[in-house]
Amino acid sequence: MRRFWLLLVNEFRLARTAVPIHMVAIVQPTVLYLVMSVILVQPTFDMAVVRPTTVAGQALVMAMEEVGSPVGLPYIQPILVDWDGEPVARQVIAVEERDGVPTAVQHFGLIDSNLVKNFRNRLTAAALRLWHRDLDRRAVRIVEVPWLARDVPYTVYFGMALLPLTAFLAGSVLGAVLTAQEFEMGTITEYRLAPAPPLLILGARLVRLVISALAAGGVLLVAVGLVTGVWPSAVWLVFVVLAPVGLIAGCLGTLAGLLLRKVIPAFLVGLVTSFVGWLLGGAFGLAAGFSAAYALVSRLMPDTHAVELIFPRYYGISIGRPLVSVAVLLALSAAMLGLTVVAYRRQVVTQG
Amino acid sequence: MEPVLSVSSVTRRFGDVVAVGDLSFDVARGELFGLLGPNGAGKTTTLHLITGLLRRQGGEVQVLGYDPQVEPQQVRQRIGLAPQETNVYDDLSAVDNLWHHAALYCSDLSEVKARIRELLVLVNLWERRKDPVRTFSGGMKRRLALARALLHDPEIVLFDEPTLGVDVQGRHALWEHIRQQQAEGKTFLLSTNDMAEADALCDRLVIIDHGRAIALDTPENLKAGLGRDIVTLRTSPPLEDAQDLLGGMGIQAVSQPEPGVVRFEVADAESLAGELISKVTAGHHLESVRIARPSLDDVFLHHTGRALRE
Repeated sequence: MRRFWLLLVNEFRLARTAVPIHMVAIVQPTVLYLVMSVILVQPTFDMAVVRPTTVAGQALVMAMEEVGSPVGLPYIQPILVDWDGEPVARQVIAVEERDGVPTAVQHFGLIDSNLVKNFRNRLTAAALRLWHRDLDRRAVRIVEVPWLARDVPYTVYFGMALLPLTAFLAGSVLGAVLTAQEFEMGTITEYRLAPAPPLLILGARLVRLVISALAAGGVLLVAVGLVTGVWPSAVWLVFVVLAPVGLIAGCLGTLAGLLLRKVIPAFLVGLVTSFVGWLLGGAFGLAAGFSAAYALVSRLMPDTHAVELIFPRYYGISIGRPLVSVAVLLALSAAMLGLTVVAYRRQVVTQG
Repeated sequence: MEPVLSVSSVTRRFGDVVAVGDLSFDVARGELFGLLGPNGAGKTTTLHLITGLLRRQGGEVQVLGYDPQVEPQQVRQRIGLAPQETNVYDDLSAVDNLWHHAALYCSDLSEVKARIRELLVLVNLWERRKDPVRTFSGGMKRRLALARALLHDPEIVLFDEPTLGVDVQGRHALWEHIRQQQAEGKTFLLSTNDMAEADALCDRLVIIDHGRAIALDTPENLKAGLGRDIVTLRTSPPLEDAQDLLGGMGIQAVSQPEPGVVRFEVADAESLAGELISKVTAGHHLESVRIARPSLDDVFLHHTGRALRE
């Protein structure tokens, strides 16, 4: 046990031989998440409105402030501006009198059609509130009854979907680079001649890769929590689920390193398989919306099952079958472990 | 004395190329034995066959009574290898490199800390123990490789090209460390293509060429075995007919290592020097004459017709 502990400590010491790769492997998905959470469309829209001078204009601004999202968050953030009629970057709303009718005119610049639609929907919602008030008892009331206790921003779903990618990327890239560089540096001879049991040596490396994968997942989990304010109810469950993902990825990376023996090709294999596996994964049942074949392939990807185990409800709907997901993750782990042990024996232990 | 390492008629081919062919030698306990030969002679392959990194295709190898092909773990616990390429982790410190080795090789970890200190002091690296190895010179890296090979207290140390790429000062320091370890009872098997190193260090050596042993003895006996001195003449015009001119004096192995230079072997050259000079100066201008005792290079040349450095 003491030898295993020392082997494990050594595995972490070897991080100093590939510091930039560690930074990329552990932090990169979190950086991606933070960038995407800024770029992605936010539920609350800032909508520029020309400072109203008429009663109708003021009523519209008040109505905009009253419009809420289905689960209660502010839906529109009206921002009063002084406007000279020149084109602006996004859009601006001006309330004018046209043909004797108060009219909200939406001016917009270089924005995509989906965003125009989103702005218009919100504007319509505000206008409907005014109309609704005039209709009095002839109006139809809309009562919102949310199924979820609280709104779940889709930055949470995006973060959850990134979790297995993060763990997979750390495991596969670090496994690939650390193993391949032993061949490039010639230090593999140390392992080849070592009297220590090969399974103990390989075991220490894989455990180290799993820990690295969990660390990468932990960094992302903290980032998601800080950005969204949503924290998993059982953090331990996240790490329990990510452990087999890290093991599968660590085995894949180690295999790439053992078979290719060159850092750059092995690194690329780790990188590409991580992202391809993630895209094929189709978390939250998204793959089913494309094709049956894609849906089938996605069921074979560890990412899919990891997401469904970590976050089993998608907008309140239960997704996946936990027992099947556990079985798939265990089967993939066992298969990859077996392949890695065979490859290690052939590439390192067996006499040439 | 019973050998601790025995190589008997060992053969290894790579495709059609015979890397090691019918090679045999024994190494006694406490001996410093050398494998001397040019690059590509099969020295490293021989070391790999002894460690079990490679499988032999014929013959027998016994290391302390164990066959490395049958019981590799037993052999690996008892040998230390410092390979030709300095395969240390450049980004780790000397101490961390040794801890890494300890985890892989030492069955008893309780003594490792003290042993690391002892070895780093021995190879004069204690002061630099925390520095990244990438800041070390070639000689320091080879000394670290020696310390690493000794860390698990092996009975036999295999050292592949100990001073390859090491400056003169580092070379002598490393030789001293090796001799010191030998004096403490370690058995060494060195591979080298440096005849000065083999001459200075080895108790006995086997000269290998194209994977085959061509001579095996102590360096002194190998050189004395030639029974002749080496004479090198530089003349103008070049001495084209040395064999005809000096044949009556019993010269052998005549060669022209460079234009205008003739080299040959002759018994008791000093007593024949006067006659030799008279004969040569009769028709040539003698620019220089050099009489030397045979070196290991001469031994190699004698057996193969080629210089060791070629």
